[in-house]
Amino acid sequence: MADRIEGVKKLFTSKSARVETNMGDAHYEKLFQSCQARIEELKTQTPRENRLDIDSFLDDQGVNRRDFMKWASAVTGMLMLPSSFTPLVADAALLMNRAPVIWLELSDCAGNTEAILRSDGPKIDEILLDIISLEFNETIMAASGHQAEKQLEDAIHTFKGKYLLFVEGAIPMGLDGQYGTIGAHAETFYDHLMRISKDAAAVVAVGSCATFGGVPAASPNPTQAVGVMDVLKGKPLINIPACPANPANMVGVIIHYILTGQVPELDSLLRPKFAFGYRIHDNCERRAHFDAGEFVEEWGDHGAKHNHCLYKVGCKGPMTFNNCSIIRYNEGVNWPIGVGRGCIGCSEPDFWDKYAHERPISSVNIKAPTGGVEKTVDEFGLGLLTAASIGIGIHAVASVIAGKTENKEY
Amino acid sequence: MITKKLIDKIEGEACVYFDIKDRVVDFATIAFPNFRGIQEILKGKNALDALVITPRVCGICGHAHLMATVRAIEDAYKNGGYEIVLNQKIQKIREFTLIMETIQNHLKWIYLTIMPELAQLNKSTKILTPLKSAFGSSIAARAIATFAGQWPHSSYMLPGGITCDPTNIDALKAKSYVDELTSFFEKESLGIGIEEFLAFESCKDFKNMDSDISFIEEELIKAGMNKKGFSHDRFIVLGNHSYTNPSKINQTRIYCADAMCVEDIDSYSPNEKTYAKNAVYSGSYYEAGSLARQMSLNVPIVKNMHRRYKDSAYSRVMARIFELAYLLKESNSILDDIDISEASFNAPQHINAITATGIGVVEAPRGPLVHKVSLEKGVIKEYKIITPTQFNIGSSTKSDPTPAQKSMIGVSKEDALFIFRTFDVCSVCTTH
Ligand code: SF4
Ligand code: SF4
Repeated sequence: MADRIEGVKKLFTSKSARVETNMGDAHYEKLFQSCQARIEELKTQTPRENRLDIDSFLDDQGVNRRDFMKWASAVTGMLMLPSSFTPLVADAALLMNRAPVIWLELSDCAGNTEAILRSDGPKIDEILLDIISLEFNETIMAASGHQAEKQLEDAIHTFKGKYLLFVEGAIPMGLDGQYGTIGAHAETFYDHLMRISKDAAAVVAVGSCATFGGVPAASPNPTQAVGVMDVLKGKPLINIPACPANPANMVGVIIHYILTGQVPELDSLLRPKFAFGYRIHDNCERRAHFDAGEFVEEWGDHGAKHNHCLYKVGCKGPMTFNNCSIIRYNEGVNWPIGVGRGCIGCSEPDFWDKYAHERPISSVNIKAPTGGVEKTVDEFGLGLLTAASIGIGIHAVASVIAGKTENKEY
Repeated sequence: MITKKLIDKIEGEACVYFDIKDRVVDFATIAFPNFRGIQEILKGKNALDALVITPRVCGICGHAHLMATVRAIEDAYKNGGYEIVLNQKIQKIREFTLIMETIQNHLKWIYLTIMPELAQLNKSTKILTPLKSAFGSSIAARAIATFAGQWPHSSYMLPGGITCDPTNIDALKAKSYVDELTSFFEKESLGIGIEEFLAFESCKDFKNMDSDISFIEEELIKAGMNKKGFSHDRFIVLGNHSYTNPSKINQTRIYCADAMCVEDIDSYSPNEKTYAKNAVYSGSYYEAGSLARQMSLNVPIVKNMHRRYKDSAYSRVMARIFELAYLLKESNSILDDIDISEASFNAPQHINAITATGIGVVEAPRGPLVHKVSLEKGVIKEYKIITPTQFNIGSSTKSDPTPAQKSMIGVSKEDALFIFRTFDVCSVCTTH
C-alpha cells in the first residue's frame, strides 16, 4: 500500500503534463523566414478604410512602445516561440487590422463577449480585439437590424476564404432548431452558422458553450444543445474552451494566424496546445501544499486562511488543462484558486455534469471523455480522469492518516 | 400594419412588433426567441451545483445570479431549521462585488447603448467613445476579481460565506481600483468631482457641467425624451441591500413590498414564439431598476426629476447615471467598513440535511432578480428564476400593457426604439 501511495504521489507531483516546446533551431529558422515573408506581404496591403491605425491608436490610449514590446514578448512566450520572434509578433499585432474576424453569438450568456470585448484581458489584448479586429459582432456593432445583416454579407463577400469566424454559444438542435433564431428572418442558429462558416478560412469556437455545448448542454440538455465541433465538418476548427474563455488565448490564435497563416498546433479536443497544454495542477500556486498534504478541509478553516490546497473542497485542477493558472483573469489580477475556490474544470468537456461539484473528484462518478488518442496532453488527461480520481483520493486520505493537517497545534 | 424590428447590440436578441397607426405606435409586442432551459437543467442536481450554473445565465449580471442563488439556498437553510448567520465582513464583500458589477453594467450601457442610439436619433455628429466603457469596466472587473477570482462567472459565494480570505493588501488593492475608477468617471464622464455631482438637487444643475453626461442630458431634452416614454408611474424594489429600500411606489407614495407577491405569468406575443414570461407584483406591472431604487431612497435630484418629468425616458436614463455615481461612493464606504479579521465562512449543516424551500432576492443592475428553490435532502426539486427584464419588458395585451409596452405607445417608431433601450434590455436573462 505504502508503495502504491508513493507511486501515485510521484505521478501527480512530477511536472509531467507539459507540451514539448522546443522544436529545434532548424525548425524555428524556417518558420521565422516564412513568417517574415508573410508579414512583409501583409504590410503591402492596405487596411480597410474603416479601420484605425493601430500604432497611433495605441499611442492615444497611453500605451507606449516599451509597454507594447513587453506585451509582444509575453505573447511570443505564450505562443511557445523563441524570443527572437518578438519583433514579428509585434508586427503581426499591428497588422491585425488586415485580419478579418467575424463574431457570431448563438445560444449563450454573452459572457465571452463581455470578457473579451470590454472587460477582461491585458489592456492591449482588449484594445486590439475591441475596436480593431472584429468585423462583425452582434452585441457591439454600431449598425443594427437589416443594416447589420448587410454588413455581415459584405464582410463575407470581401473576405471570402480569408476571415476567421469566432463563434460564441452552443447550437440548440432540438425542436428543429427553434430554440434559437437570429436576425430579421429568424434563421436558426444552425443554419446561420452553416451559412457564415462556409467561406471562412477557419472557425474558432470560443467558450465552453461553443466548444462542447456548455451549460445549455448540461443534463437533461433541454434544447439538445451541441458544440460547433459536433456539427461543423470539413473546416479547420480551433476550440478555445473555458467559461469565460480567456481573451489572451483568443488574441494568441489571431496573431498566430496572421504570423503563419495557419492553425496552431491542436490537441485531440482541437484546443491550441499553447494554451491548453498546461495542467492547472502543475502550475498552481497552492501546489506546494498539495505535495505537503496540507488541505483546506472546509472553507473558513485554518487551511483556507493559509492558502492550502483545495483538492478536498472539490478542486478539479488535476484534471483540467488550461493556462489560467499562468495568465489568470481580468488583466492578471486573480483567478478562482487565488480566492480559495477550487477549479471547476471549465475548459473540459461536459464539466457541468462531471466537475462542477464542491466535492472532491474521487467521490464523483466520472467517465473518461471520448475523443482521439494522442500522446502527451491527451493521453495524460485521459489517464488522469480515471487514475487521478483514485490516486489523489488516496493521497488526500494518506495525509489525514499522517496527521498532517488534522492534529497540529497552530 | 405590423412591422417587425430586431433589437440587437444587447445581450442576446429581442424582436419588437409595432402596430403603427397615423405614424405613431398604437401598440407593440415583444418576443425573445432564444432559450436554453436552465431551470430544467438545475432540476435533480445538488443544490451547490446551482452556484456554478446560475451565474452562467448571464454574461453581464452573473454575479447577481450567484448572489440570488446563495440567498435562496441560505433561506432554505433557515426554513429547514438551520438558520445561517452572516457576519458583516461576508455581507460587505458580497455587496461590494455586486455593486461593482452594477457599475460596469451601467457604464457599458451609457457608452455602448445610450450615447450611440441618442446620437443616431438626433443625427448628432459627436464623436463616440465606446472604449471609455471598456476601460472603466475593466477597472470594475479587476475590483471584483480581487475578491471573486474572475469576472464574469465567478462562484466565490457559498451558503455560509465566501471562499476568499482577503488580506489587508487585497483590501487596499480593491480600494485603489475604486479610486482609479472614480477619478476616471470624474474626468472622462462627469467633468466635475463626484461629490459635487452627488450634491445636485435639481435637473438645472446638470447645466453646470460640460462633459459626456451633460451631453446626454442635453440630447435627451433635444429629443423630447423628458416628455416621452412614460410608463405606469409605479415602481418596485425588492432586493435588500445597503443601497436599496425594498418598496412598492405609486407615483411618490412609498409602501413596503415583499418578494413573495411576485409571480410570472404567460406573455402575449401573437407574431412570434417567445420564451419569456412576464413578471407581476400582486397581479400588476411595475417598473424596476435604477429609477425605482433611487425613488425609493428619496434621492433629492431624482425626486426633482420625477416632479418635472415623471417616469419619462429622460428620468430613466438620468436616474441610472446618477445611481452610478451614488454606487461608486457607496462602494468606497463599504470597503472602509470591512473588518478582515472576521471569519469568511461559517460551515453550515451539510446540504443533504435540507428539505425546504427558499427564496433569494437581489437587486441586479436592471432591477429585482428572484430565485426560488425547493430542496429535498439537498437536491433541487424545482428552481425558478424571475429576472428584472421580465418586470420591465414583458409582452402583454393592449388593455394591460407592461412598462415597456406602455412607454412606447403614442410616439414615433424611432423614438419608441430608443425608449425601449432605456430599460436596458437583457434577453439572455429573460429567457434563461
Ligand atoms: S488547489 Fe487544485 S490545482 Fe492547486 S494544487 Fe490543489 S488540487 Fe492542484
Ligand atoms: S481555475 Fe479551472 S474552472 Fe476556473 S477558470 Fe481556470 S480552468 Fe476554469
